[in-house]
Amino acid sequence: MVPKFKPSPLRIRSFCTKTVQQNPHHWPIKQITKTNFNESLSEIKNHISSSDFIAVSLQNTGSFSSPWHRVSTFDTPETAYLKAKFAAERFQILQFAICPFKLQASKVIAYPYNFHLFPRDELKMGMPSYSFTCQTSYLTAMAKEGFDFNTCIYDGISYLSEAQESTVKVRMGNPMAVDHATKSSSSPALSVADTVFIERVRSRVKHWKNACTDSDIKTEALVTSLRKIVLGGEQFGSRPSMTIDVCSERQVQLVLKMLEDFSDVLVPLIIPAKGGGTQAVRAVLTSSDEDKDLLKRELQTFEFEQNKRVRGFREVIDLISASQKPLVAHNSLNDFTFIHSKFLAPLPPNMNEFICSLRLAFPQVIDVNYLLKDIGPVKKMTNISATIAYLKNRFFAPIEMEIPNQANENEGKIHGHNVVKICQLFGKLCSILKITPDAIESSDDFLASAINRYANIFYSLPGSSQEPTNEEIRGWTNDKRKVSCEDVVFLWGFRERISAGILKNMLQGSHEVFAEAFNVRMVDRSCAIVVFGKPGLSNTFKNVMNSKAVSGPLREMVSDGLKAAGYETYQRVCSSGLWESALADALDKTLASHNCLSEAAYETKQSEIYLSNELINLAEL
Amino acid sequence: MKKRWPITILYRAFSSSTTSTTASFPLKHVKKSNFDSALSSLRHHVQAADFVAIDLEMTGITSAPWRDSFEFDRFDVRYLKVKDSAEKFAVIQFGVSPFRWDPLKQSFITHPHNFFIFQRQELPLDGAAYEFLCQTTSMDFLAKYQFDFNACIHEGVSYLSREQEDKALKHVNSTYEDESLDSWHSLKEIRDTHLFNIPDILFAERMKDRLSEWLGGLLRNRDGGSEVQPSFNDSKQQFETIFFKMRPAISLNGFTSHQLLLIQLVVRKHFKDLAYLRVSGENSCSQNVIVYIESESDKKMLMKEVKDEQKIDAEMSIKASIGFRHVIDLLSSEKKLIVGHNCFLDIAHIYSKFFGPLPLTAEEFISSVNKYFPHIIDTKILLNSNSILQQRMKKSSTSLSKAFSVLCPQIALGSKSTHLALQPSVKVEVEVDDIRSSNWNSGVKHEAGYDAFMTGCVFAQACSHLGIDFKQQSSSENLAHNEKLREHVNLLYLSWTNGEIINLSTGNRTSESLASNKRKNHYPKILFECIVIVWGFPSHLKAWDIRECISKVYGPTSVISVYHVDETAVFVQFSRAEMVSKFLDLKGSLDRNNDPISVLHPLAKLLEGGNTCAASYETYKEICSSTVSKVLFADQAKAVGIKWKTKLVESSDKTKEHESLRKVKAVNSDPSCGERTKNKNFDDHPCSFNGSRRTNTNLPIELLSEIFEELTDCENISHRAAVCMSFMASCHQNFLPSTFISSSISFLHCSHNHHQNLALSSNVQTHKHHQMFLPQLKESRCASTSYDGWLLTLPFDRKQNLYLSNPFARDRIKLGTAQALRVVTSISPLDPKCVVLDIHK
Repeated sequence: MVPKFKPSPLRIRSFCTKTVQQNPHHWPIKQITKTNFNESLSEIKNHISSSDFIAVSLQNTGSFSSPWHRVSTFDTPETAYLKAKFAAERFQILQFAICPFKLQASKVIAYPYNFHLFPRDELKMGMPSYSFTCQTSYLTAMAKEGFDFNTCIYDGISYLSEAQESTVKVRMGNPMAVDHATKSSSSPALSVADTVFIERVRSRVKHWKNACTDSDIKTEALVTSLRKIVLGGEQFGSRPSMTIDVCSERQVQLVLKMLEDFSDVLVPLIIPAKGGGTQAVRAVLTSSDEDKDLLKRELQTFEFEQNKRVRGFREVIDLISASQKPLVAHNSLNDFTFIHSKFLAPLPPNMNEFICSLRLAFPQVIDVNYLLKDIGPVKKMTNISATIAYLKNRFFAPIEMEIPNQANENEGKIHGHNVVKICQLFGKLCSILKITPDAIESSDDFLASAINRYANIFYSLPGSSQEPTNEEIRGWTNDKRKVSCEDVVFLWGFRERISAGILKNMLQGSHEVFAEAFNVRMVDRSCAIVVFGKPGLSNTFKNVMNSKAVSGPLREMVSDGLKAAGYETYQRVCSSGLWESALADALDKTLASHNCLSEAAYETKQSEIYLSNELINLAEL
Repeated sequence: MKKRWPITILYRAFSSSTTSTTASFPLKHVKKSNFDSALSSLRHHVQAADFVAIDLEMTGITSAPWRDSFEFDRFDVRYLKVKDSAEKFAVIQFGVSPFRWDPLKQSFITHPHNFFIFQRQELPLDGAAYEFLCQTTSMDFLAKYQFDFNACIHEGVSYLSREQEDKALKHVNSTYEDESLDSWHSLKEIRDTHLFNIPDILFAERMKDRLSEWLGGLLRNRDGGSEVQPSFNDSKQQFETIFFKMRPAISLNGFTSHQLLLIQLVVRKHFKDLAYLRVSGENSCSQNVIVYIESESDKKMLMKEVKDEQKIDAEMSIKASIGFRHVIDLLSSEKKLIVGHNCFLDIAHIYSKFFGPLPLTAEEFISSVNKYFPHIIDTKILLNSNSILQQRMKKSSTSLSKAFSVLCPQIALGSKSTHLALQPSVKVEVEVDDIRSSNWNSGVKHEAGYDAFMTGCVFAQACSHLGIDFKQQSSSENLAHNEKLREHVNLLYLSWTNGEIINLSTGNRTSESLASNKRKNHYPKILFECIVIVWGFPSHLKAWDIRECISKVYGPTSVISVYHVDETAVFVQFSRAEMVSKFLDLKGSLDRNNDPISVLHPLAKLLEGGNTCAASYETYKEICSSTVSKVLFADQAKAVGIKWKTKLVESSDKTKEHESLRKVKAVNSDPSCGERTKNKNFDDHPCSFNGSRRTNTNLPIELLSEIFEELTDCENISHRAAVCMSFMASCHQNFLPSTFISSSISFLHCSHNHHQNLALSSNVQTHKHHQMFLPQLKESRCASTSYDGWLLTLPFDRKQNLYLSNPFARDRIKLGTAQALRVVTSISPLDPKCVVLDIHK
């Protein structure tokens, strides 16, 4: 370990905000693979527990396959979640960078780690994932940064999610020690069959036990082996054991109860069946009380070791979760859908359930993008470096980065800088927003309340928020308008490669609803959205499109294949998982299936989306 | 990636003692950097080659466990599965090894090439991003053999399929021809609103001054011939005078996009003899220039010139990104014999990656493959279908590495041991970048280039065993037309699992001929009309539970087999096709009703949870054809959009069923003269099913046989015979030898008396006899054993009919009047391949 306190020359330099470590290429980030994973765990554990925040950043094999799969300004939180869910279920995390850090005035003390992950089917059960999708552009970009795919695939750390781990435990059929919870307290009256069953098993156990303990009596080898076959004795480790087959959970209880009579020497173990439930009860013979304790300890360590092996990288996730520290991310919706689906459980079908489930594991998640919103509009916040540069130009908020980690030997192939940048950005933002008290230790509560304001807001894309925007922000961005989903209509079925401007021109003269102000924006090549300025016009337009009364130029366009649908159809597209590569195809398919089966109408009134002109320009590519 | 077992080679041990040195120079790896040179040398080698061996490494094989190859795959379903695999996974390595016979050296010369390929999105084309699937187990397998992923992703050769190329070219054409000059010129409408802004107006004024200054200087210059004024030296970086298409021009640098927009506006508003252009410069960054034009026609000419140039540039970049497809085009245009090992999937990959999207049906696919590659030989089929080669292979497995070590030991072992010299061997000399060796061992297994080399060696050796003399083979003659090979050309395994072979040139499908088939037919012929797919049932139900559940309703012989597709779905094969619709009807009505009767119904166990769905085989095909791939079948069905629980079979299927029955009759040689009669009365079946059987099936098979030895009661033996189908299914699933089945279920019968309904069965192994009641035996004389309990009943009266009957299923097959004396059946009479021998007096 390099000493945690930097030598004084650096401290002096820190006044001018430029330390040597300010250059991202010299940030020492500890690279962790299968080979050094176990030895680093305790160190990571210490850093996590002593940190104030933990920054996370992921490197995935892809994000969205078609332009419309990308989370955009016209998405409600719900559709945004569904899009993120779709990506998280298909792509894979190859690098997971975590950085526990402390904020001390204008100093960030960070301990960045970059984990190389690869899902390896170590148990031959198709877990953690049977297959995953890669996007060539992502891989090429990673290759350009010098990413070593061989290290990743040969030496990446595998993992299992919590949900997978519990199914694996059952499927591996490891004997489980009986805890008191398994023994049911209620014991209903014994039926005749139960009594017969108990007595039969009891006599078997008795005979077997006697045969085992009476080893001092010299018997012929043949007799011993025959007896073994007859009594069904086995070995469990070095101890003799006997398996009692059971047909129901009731019988399990009966056997356990019966075995209590032999509790001085016999330890009951439950053998789970492959499909869940119990297959058998195994009684293990111990020689003494000490031996019994030893066996119990052996079982515990065995289980512990095996769980550790099975969990792999999830150990780190569990550490983070157990620490209950606030997490800082840059693109939280994307990152945490990935984290949830890979390390916790399959993603739930809607946003609310997702947030509830995630909160259980990570109570506080802070998105730096959301903090940025309080500062003002930043045009394109997808790039952290650009955001840092932007803040640097605008505010004086020097942040010194201190990374006491050991430097890596292979400096050239260091990845995971983003996580340190997130720390840096967060530090800057905290100092600008004055939410960092000078001494964090003394006023944890204050920090918590300050941070709470920003925590757990996942859907914080530029131009949208779940909280009402205040006047100030509106003043800064007069292009931004709140638009109700009701005023949005999806249009498709026009000539491909048409521009929004041309489409708008075509629409303008086609019908009287377009006499009022309206806006057109391309979603992808096949589909556009029309936003009506005046409420109610969208319904008029939809009705016109579906009626025979359609006439004039609009009729001409409809005859050429123009179709229209409201926002609820789009929501249905996202929730039914029809992720066609062109939105037009997906809308068509949804309408077709909807015509057969009418479902409950979606409530769209409350959900509001934002549209900004700035993004309209973006789409005119 | 292919699952091949690594050869257990001892060559390392041998090579030390042999005198001939094993050359171990590396394989020729082709990446981006050396692709062009490798391609030109490969071109010569392929042109001179007698045949070209190929092999592919992929990122995976099946996108979901249920997409694996099953015995229950009809050929169209099999194709859909192959199609799905080829569409989803990427090819990351491509081995090409052209083999040429050298008459001087009396040996083959080969140049194995190992191409790393990786498709990058080099053209700004579609909206959809290029993506591919990786199967984790396959990646792990590749990693185990030290596959170099970095070489593939960092330096792999990219490619464009023919279809992608056409699309890109069309796109270029439409952008440069579709739009008129004017609209192309003013791609972006500039709104005047920008000029309401004071800073913008000032900037525009300044630009106007500068441009007129420049223009003035230019005109003066032309008239007076003096030097260009150094008037804007302060902004020389921003305004650089250049010559653009033989015309004086200004190149604009260092302006923001908004400023450029304003300049564009100024030029258009105030300067008739200036044109603003945005052109893509060299290193692909765009360049903004203002060009001096003499007249409107000059402007048009300039525009056209620029446009043409850009179009040519765009086309050039498309041509440049064809990349690896040049190799495929070369193989296709040279029409050489292509040799692969179990290569149906490989061919599908080649088609989808380098030609275009795979067609929807196997027939279309085959006919277009045949167009591109007229001669393909699969060494796996060659080895399995020819008896000489089978002998050579000594019945060992026909995996590539095994075949290589058995057929070409001199290469595989890197030595010429004396005992191997007895075998005539074809010499193969390897040439890699001017290094030659006749004992080459690159030391890298599971590299596509080396696997292609092995395939070629196996093929060359196999040819020589077939009696093809390369010494007499003239070089001009195509090897594919050799009469000894002719019957093997263009045959590919559609599915190795059930030995279905497809002929690429005719499109005919055949099953592997029985004579050469080492695998025994465990199942009777699968009739797809008899199959129902059931999914979403409670997860604790296993195949046997489901079988029992359905048997309770339709009788014990109604279900021939239950086969797990995955943990959430099963195929249920009924004994007769009409039971499919009956079952679905019943299930549909049970789904609708929730009264106590349906709760107590035997099927209720299967329907527990309310998510159980069932449909006919056609639905399975439909689900397979979807592009979605969920890991579990039940999730897949949901993702495909199936919302119903039961899909009833339409009446049109009934006619299909009749057709298929007719087909069965046509195939059956002798029983066909009769008709199948069915006894509908299942309920009073002699075999009562009790719970004990359930535990029987859970027992190990060795124990099962012992248990049956203990059974003395004749009814118990009949039970045993009745369950034999399920044994077979379980035996098959556990890959147990088929001998067990035939020996333990041997069943001997004979009847004596005129009017007795009792039959005496005797067990050959125990020599015990049992009497059993068989109503079918009335008026019949004799019954003989056959496949799983089928009896032949011979009437005393010659004029009466001869039957094959199953006492347990109560099925009878009429064989016509009893002119025959003896009848022998080798397999189940339900199997269309069943042959009945009868001897006429």
